[in-house]
Amino acid sequence: MTTFASSAARLVAVLAGFLFCVAVFAQTPPKVPQGALLPKDSVDAATFRGGLVFANYCVTCHGINADGNGRAARLYNPKSANLRASDKNDAYYGLIIRKGGAALGRSEFMPTWEAELTNEQVSDLVAYLRSINVNKP
Amino acid sequence: MQIPKIRPYLALTLAIALPGIELVVAGAAWAAQEHVVAQKNKSFSMKKLTVKVGDSVKFVNEDSFAHNVFSLSEAKSFDLGSFGNGGTKTVTFDKPGKIEVECAVHPDMRMDVEVTP
Repeated sequence: MTTFASSAARLVAVLAGFLFCVAVFAQTPPKVPQGALLPKDSVDAATFRGGLVFANYCVTCHGINADGNGRAARLYNPKSANLRASDKNDAYYGLIIRKGGAALGRSEFMPTWEAELTNEQVSDLVAYLRSINVNKP
Repeated sequence: MQIPKIRPYLALTLAIALPGIELVVAGAAWAAQEHVVAQKNKSFSMKKLTVKVGDSVKFVNEDSFAHNVFSLSEAKSFDLGSFGNGGTKTVTFDKPGKIEVECAVHPDMRMDVEVTP
């Protein structure tokens, strides 16, 4: 009798422990690696990275709002392009970023960036410019 | 025998020419100078340069990629545009003041030019 009672008590204890563990793990959220908020290849990630490229290289002339009112804009006539209102497509963006303004018959003061920016940075920048453009398709 | 009249003419010539020569020599000392600044390894070859009003600075691109030279300083605002390897651009400073020179392609490239009267 004593052996039976002891075994039953042990079984109940094990069962209770199992149920407790299930309850605890059910409430613990799955672990997500930090910094993996956006998939690398997503448009949102490219737009985010492109914004950083823009802030580092383009704001001097085009301005932080990309409206052509950067601190150096007063040097140029015609003034720096308002990229929010641009009617150019992504291919044109990529071309003028890589080759500079003079190559496309635009301002000679728009430098060529192909030696400075990687292909990924250029496509990220294009994604960012597309995201802020009022003429989004 | 007639005395040669060279000496009075020589003295007169010297009297006229010497001040002129002095002026030329003095003018050379005051003449505008051209300073050379290289752009290499994404930096200007000097962080600070002192020049006189009227002097010019020639920027030489010694990198394999394009550079630019511009300034938004009150004493002198300019953009010399972009230029590739071996290219040069020159700017003359015609007013005294402190001028911060930058490269539009490489935001970390900066130097100061102090223009003295």
